[in-house]
This record gives sequence, C-alpha cells and structure tokens, in this order.
Amino acid sequence: MVEIVFLIPFITGVMAFFLPKEIGRLSLVSTGAVHLILSLLLWKNRPEAIFNNYFAVTPEGLLSLIVISLLFFLISIYTVGYLKESDIQTENIFTGFMLLFLSTMTMVTLSVHIMVMWIAIEATTIASAPLILTHRSSASLEATWKYVLICSVGIAMALLGSIFITLSMDIGNVDAPLSFSALTLVAKRLDPMWLKAGFVFILVGYGTKMGLAPMHTWLPDAHSEAPSPASALLSGVLLNCAYLGIFKTNKIMHVAGLDDFSGTILIVFGLMSILAAATFILKQNEYKRMLAYSSIENMGIIAVGTGIGGIAAYGAMICMIHHSLIKSSLFLSSGNILLGYGNRFIENTGDMVNRMPKTFVAFFAGFAGISGFPPFGIFIGEMFIIAGAFRAGHYIIASIFILSLCVIFAGFANQTMKISFDDFDGNGSDKLMGLKERASMVWPQYILLLTSLVLCFYMPDTLYQTIIDAVTAIGGGVK
Amino acid sequence: MIHSVDTIMSLVLLSVLLSYGYSRLPRLIIVVGFQGIVVSMVPFFIGHEMTAGGIVFTIATLLIRGIIIPMSIYIAIKKKAIQRKVAPIVGYQASILFGLGLIVAATYISRQLNIPSISDYTLLFPTAIALLVTGMFLLMTRRNAIAMVLGYIIMENGIYLVGTTFSIRARHIVEFGILLDVLAGVMIMTIILQNIKRTFDDVDTAHLRTLKE
Repeated sequence: MVEIVFLIPFITGVMAFFLPKEIGRLSLVSTGAVHLILSLLLWKNRPEAIFNNYFAVTPEGLLSLIVISLLFFLISIYTVGYLKESDIQTENIFTGFMLLFLSTMTMVTLSVHIMVMWIAIEATTIASAPLILTHRSSASLEATWKYVLICSVGIAMALLGSIFITLSMDIGNVDAPLSFSALTLVAKRLDPMWLKAGFVFILVGYGTKMGLAPMHTWLPDAHSEAPSPASALLSGVLLNCAYLGIFKTNKIMHVAGLDDFSGTILIVFGLMSILAAATFILKQNEYKRMLAYSSIENMGIIAVGTGIGGIAAYGAMICMIHHSLIKSSLFLSSGNILLGYGNRFIENTGDMVNRMPKTFVAFFAGFAGISGFPPFGIFIGEMFIIAGAFRAGHYIIASIFILSLCVIFAGFANQTMKISFDDFDGNGSDKLMGLKERASMVWPQYILLLTSLVLCFYMPDTLYQTIIDAVTAIGGGVK
Repeated sequence: MIHSVDTIMSLVLLSVLLSYGYSRLPRLIIVVGFQGIVVSMVPFFIGHEMTAGGIVFTIATLLIRGIIIPMSIYIAIKKKAIQRKVAPIVGYQASILFGLGLIVAATYISRQLNIPSISDYTLLFPTAIALLVTGMFLLMTRRNAIAMVLGYIIMENGIYLVGTTFSIRARHIVEFGILLDVLAGVMIMTIILQNIKRTFDDVDTAHLRTLKE
C-alpha cells in the first residue's frame, strides 16, 4: 500500500477546507506526523505498490520522500505558531492547500511512470499557486501570475519531452511499459536522436520548475511573496521534486550511453544558475529574495554535480539533502524576521542579535551552513563536487564554480551582517516588541539545522546505502 | 490523394494565421474555440483503433476544448466588462508576417525529420510546430492577460496534436494529462485574473511590473 502515503494528506487536505481553523491547524500537524511515520515504514519495508505500473519505491524517490516528510512535519509545527501571529484571512484555504501540496509532492517521489510523474509535477503547481496568493496583495498577485504562467509553459515543454521519449521507443521498435525503470533496461535500443530531444525538453521543462537559469525568473517572486512556511516548502522540497524528474531521465541517458551529452547540458544550465545567483545576490535588498537566489545557486550546484558524475554526483545528492534542511530553516527564520520587523527590506531591519536572539542563532547558523562552512553538510557536498570536477579534468568549470561560490558568500555575508548587527533605530518599534519568540517558532529551525549537523558526522548505513544506490544508476559513487 | 487529416490541418493553419491578426478578444476566443474543436477531431481520422472509452473521451475533450473553455472565457469578459483589446507589443502586420515565416520554416523542418507514425500526413507536423510557436508568441507579445491565456491554450492544442498522433503508446494517459493541464491551468489563471481585475480594474499585464531582480 504505497499509495496511502499520498492519499492521506489528500483526504485531510480536502477536509481542511471545510473544518474550523483550530481543527485545521491540528490536522496539519497530525497529518505531518502520520506522514512521517508512514514514510519511515516505507523506508524500512519498501513494499510493492498496488498500481505498480505507475508507482514504486525507488532509492532516489525515497531520499526525497524522507526529506519532504521530515520537513513538512517540522514546518507544520512552525506553521501553527506562525498562523497565530500573522493575519492570514483565509486560513482554511491555506492549510488545505498546504496538505494538498504535500500530497502532490509525495506522489512525485513515488511515481515511476513518465506520464504519471508529469501529472504529479503539474499538480504541484496547481496545489502551490494558491499558497503564493495567500496575502492577496498586488505583489503576490503578480508573483502567482508569473509562477503559474511560466511553470505551465515549462511543464508543457516537459510533456513534449515525455512524448518524444515515447517516440524514441516507437522508432527503436521497443516494446516496454512507459516507466522509468523499464525504459532504463531497454535504454540502449531507444532511438538516440529523439531520446536526446526528449531529454532537452524535459530538462528545460522541469528545469523551469527547479529554478535553473534562465528559466528561474518566477522563483524569487514566488518565494518572497508566499507566507514563510510555504516558502520553506517551495524551496526545500518542491525544487527537489522537479530535480527528481530530471534525475530519472538522466538515468535513462546514462544507460543509453549518452551521458556526455546530458552531462554537458546539465553543467551549462547549472553554471548559468550559479552565475545568475551570484549576479543578483550582491545587490539584493530583500532578505527573502536573497534566500530565493541562494536556492537558485544550490539548484545550479546540484545540476553541475549531476552533470559531472562520479563522486560529484554523490556530492550533488548530499547537497540536495542538506540544502533542503538548511534552506527551509532559513525561510522559517525569515518568517520570524518578517513578523518581528513587519518589513521585507534589509535596510529596515537590524540588531537582530539583541532583539530576537533565538531567531538570530537559527538564521546565522543557517547562513553559515548554506554558504558551505564546515560543520554543515553542504561543505562536504561541495567538496565532493569540486574534487569530482578536478578529477574529471574540468578545471575551468571548477574555477568558475569556486569563484561564484565566493561571490555569493560575500553578498550573503554582507546582508546577513546588516540584519544581525546593524543599528536599528526602530521607527515604530512597538511593533517589534510584538513578536514573542514562541518555542514552536524556533525549535523547528534548530532541529533542522541539528539534523544537518548530525548527518555530517554520523550517517546511518541505510541512508548511505540508499544514496549510493541512487547515484550508481547515473554513474556516480564514492570510488 | 489528400488525406482527410491534412484537410483538417489546413483549417488549423488558417486559424493560426487568423489568431495573429485579430485585435479584439471575442474574435480571438472564437478562433481558439474553433481550433480546439478541429484539433480534438483528429483522433477520429488518424486511423488508430478507437475503443468505446476512447471515443467518449475524445468527445469529452472536444466539448471541453472547443466549447466549455472558450465559452466560459467569453462569458467572463462580458460579465466583468474586461478590456477587449489584446494590447500587442508586436504589431499585427509584423505578427502575421512572422506567422507566415513560421509555417514555411515548420514545413521545412518537418521534411528533415522522418517520423514513421505520421509520414502519411504532410501537414500534421508543421501544424503542430506552428501551434506551439504561435502559442508562445502570443504569450510573449500580448499584454492583455486573457490573450496570454488564449496563447497558452493554443500551445496546449499543439501539444495535444503531438501527443495523440506521434505515438499510440499510453495515448489515453497522455490525453488525460493534457486535459488536466488545460483545465487546471485555465481555471487557476481565471481565478488569478479575477483578482488582477479586482485589484487593478484592468487585465493589462503592464501593471505587473513591480517585482524585479
């Protein structure tokens, strides 16, 4: 019964529209808890699905699923506190779509059929658009409009790519079910030209959703306009789901012996994203947009790592897990900052170290983690990618990569220092006193960061083995 | 002998050219509706075997694409007194010229590619490419949000054509996916549109220029 994992949030999500808001909040947390337990059971038992043509438990899917599940549970705890502090009018709709969003993302991680995966990714757009629209301001309208329009066009491209892959089966005279696993087995017999075309369209399509430059333009708007718990979900897990689509297609390309082609394209898009993030992060004046550009950077890093292959692919997986953990904690902290200062501009914040000490600890630690400082996992992931790049002889790629990381660190550090230590004259500082740092609004961040920290020093064997299983399929590994 | 699919395709190409030239929304909506009906009829003529379920599904697609979606958009602009001009960024003559060039280029490209399943139909692949690019073009060069939604529908028509004819594999799930895509996409866009209209009293996307970098 694999399907139950996404059916439960779907049912509770639909119910949340009609329930009073206190019960809605409760159902958010309890569904998160049940989902986490079910995901852990799935991890342990790895059962067969009922519709096993469409759904199955795969290593890369499991990795994403467990990250989604843990994140959602912690974010749901935070959300309860956040909803009490903020003035969201349509709370039922918000909690309902949060749960539907969870359901659709879970479906993405479990689907193995090309078309079902596509439908699931499309459904994530539908479930998340109302979340961005929550505040109903003119800016959030613009962000939602951009998000829906750009992602719909992108997803349409991915559909075209999926159709091209079926065409490559027809031309190669291959008879197999249209699932990623079956296609991987027969990859060598697929028509290479249409397979390549399919990969390019899928990369552009899902890449739009993943936030790869130059299709990233919706991402900073959507992430900054959505309420912070939704931003944390968007950045922490939605981007991974889109990456999963690219990863699985890349698997077919690898077996078909076309990984030079797919790797080069991945590296190009990845480097473009890192460079775009480096350009825009330097002069960013809103902290949530800054975090959004950092997500684009990290997605670029993951794409580059996947493209290089070998130990870099392992590094990319590590980066993906830790980026989710750290970035969602940062977005949650940014929610506290927004509630505390009532302002999204960096220049109107300051002196967080004294005014919101607990949030400061979470935000600053998150900043250190996301910039790749040692005790956190992104450091290890980036080290693997750089080492992989040197080993494969990509010296220029490695140097652009390192240089951009330095620039991004400089920009990020500059802004974080301003928020944390600058003088805050506090015009209207009464409002600032309004935010008590509730335990439920700082502990989720601490736990997320702590998880990242612990995973750095001690990785359970089963987790390690699952990552290795996932990356071996695209020609990666730690050897 | 000219195949009946090619006859249908010539009608679609005509609607493509018309969509470049129309300046007012109601006509554009009618063209898109016509295009939806014609494109949805293709599975009947393509010569694949049709099951009873397939026939019902195709008719449902036809109704949704050709009648329900265009009608609801039409009613929406009537009721809300939305601006009727499509507000182009690129002029109409230039657009039509682009459309003609596009069809020529699409025909040339499709000659280079040999796709066995549709080699009988000369116009099918060029039309699909033309629909895709036309949809994108309208999305990029029209500032009126409804015209953009119509561009999106035209693009989806192109994908439908590719999805139903290129490969018979998993056709129903492809059709289902596209239908979901159109329905959900249009639904959400309409909801946002209503909000845009309420906030700005207009659907010109020039208002949506505050978020940058």
